[in-house]
Amino acid sequence: MLFDFEHFISMLPDIWKAFGETLLMIGISLSISLIIGLPLGIILFVTSKGLFLRNRFFNGVLGFIVNLVRSVPYIILLVALFPLTKILVGDTIGPVAASVSLSVAAIPFFARLVETSMREVDKGVIEASIAVGATPWMIIRDVLLPEAKSGIIQGVTMTIISLVAYSAMAGIVGGGGIGDLAIRFGYYRYDNTIMIATVVILIVIVQIIQLSGDAISKAIDKR
Amino acid sequence: MLEIQNLTKVYKTKKGTVTGVDNVSLTIDKGEVFGIVGYSGAGKSSLLRCINLLERPTSGSIIVNGQDLTRLKGEQLRKARLKIGMIFQHFYLISQKTVGENIEFALKAAATPPKQIKARVKELLEMVGLSEKIDVYPAQLSGGQKQRVGIARALANNPSVLLCDEATSALDPKTTVSILRLLKKINRELNITIILITHEMDVVKEICDRMVIMQDGRVIEEGEVYDVFANPVEPLTQEFISSVVSFELPPTILKGVTGEIVKVLFKGDVAGEGVISDMIQNFEVRGNFLHGTIEYIQEKPLGIFLMELQGQPDNVGRAISYMEGRGAFVEVINDAI
Repeated sequence: MLFDFEHFISMLPDIWKAFGETLLMIGISLSISLIIGLPLGIILFVTSKGLFLRNRFFNGVLGFIVNLVRSVPYIILLVALFPLTKILVGDTIGPVAASVSLSVAAIPFFARLVETSMREVDKGVIEASIAVGATPWMIIRDVLLPEAKSGIIQGVTMTIISLVAYSAMAGIVGGGGIGDLAIRFGYYRYDNTIMIATVVILIVIVQIIQLSGDAISKAIDKR
Repeated sequence: MLEIQNLTKVYKTKKGTVTGVDNVSLTIDKGEVFGIVGYSGAGKSSLLRCINLLERPTSGSIIVNGQDLTRLKGEQLRKARLKIGMIFQHFYLISQKTVGENIEFALKAAATPPKQIKARVKELLEMVGLSEKIDVYPAQLSGGQKQRVGIARALANNPSVLLCDEATSALDPKTTVSILRLLKKINRELNITIILITHEMDVVKEICDRMVIMQDGRVIEEGEVYDVFANPVEPLTQEFISSVVSFELPPTILKGVTGEIVKVLFKGDVAGEGVISDMIQNFEVRGNFLHGTIEYIQEKPLGIFLMELQGQPDNVGRAISYMEGRGAFVEVINDAI
């Protein structure tokens, strides 16, 4: 039987628990990647060539680090960061521990998305703000962030979806969550019901995130 | 007063260096409307952008309000820019902020006390005639309205100079006229020096007191707008003037011409004096108008006519001398056409 409904019902508490763990992982790592990735993305942008806080050295170093982290496959990053995770969380198993590597992966990803959305801002508007005598901080707060807001929201959407995918991988090393459930039951035990249920849950989560992200991004745009 | 001294701007490109502005020196008086004319690539935009140091000149100085801007950096330069307004061809308003917030932004740059901001925004919007649009986003405005917001933003901190970068080039003719009127009003009422760059001679004719023509980064002709229109020296200047005052004659008309073709130019009050009718009455010549116009530049008339003069060569010669005696500038241009 492909999908055993009774088995599904009996597994509901586990699924529910896994769902909570996934939310926890994504919640923690998303918060951290927004808090660090947003300023990082802004710095990457304003220190780039032709911008008002141009700093070749700073931009080069940050860009290199961002590229470096982004080029490491997540599954390797996950294992490589065990020592750091151990120091920070005191454990390498569970959703909180998984959040460490998820954050490290998501920070540069989101930072680049922020940088890209800022590149879409009309250079003329930035120039007009310089001509008006605005401070760099004013330009960031009142020009770049509002003008790039729509794109940044889409960046958040993409980051969350990537985190959903990565968090499923974290299941392999006992990170917990929906992915963990899918691997332990669906994969190792050939439990089709759990496999289907978890995949459906992931599909639904991603669709909801994408649709609401698009809607928010469109709703706040005044253009 | 604004002084540009030996300004040069060299751009480095992959193919070598390009001189955008080549040793330009200009003195622009307080309260003057000054036009910089040239085709794209002539360096007029670079020159304008050097004035508020959006582009840093390679050499030379920009003296505004007694201060050499090229010596300023960072915070000092930012403060100096508060007193130099700028408007743009494509307006460059913050699209995610309302009209009121866009102007507020400029006021905040000057650290205006929050209590004064609201009143000042209202005042500025009244000046540009957009009071009812305070809470509207730029996307809902027409081009002319956007430029009015741009002007309000530029004037927020009471600048002494307003730089206009092709400010009317994206607007239709009717809107252009209304924006030019607004600029003229601002110039008169607030005594703000206006420097504008344009490729449209109509704009210059409408509001400028003095003008320069630029070509290949250099100023090739400079003078009062009226004088430049009346007497363009350089071929490029003549080309620009002809866009407003054109004397193309169809070949079929030229074939029928038997007499001398003369170009008669009347400056100022002479234009209204009936010199031509007197000339025809007093000499045995027939005058045939082929083309003509009276342009009003800064409300001063400039009459230019192409005529065919028929009669005895002696009489024609005397008729021409007569007109010259009455203050007209006459040129026989048979060959030129």
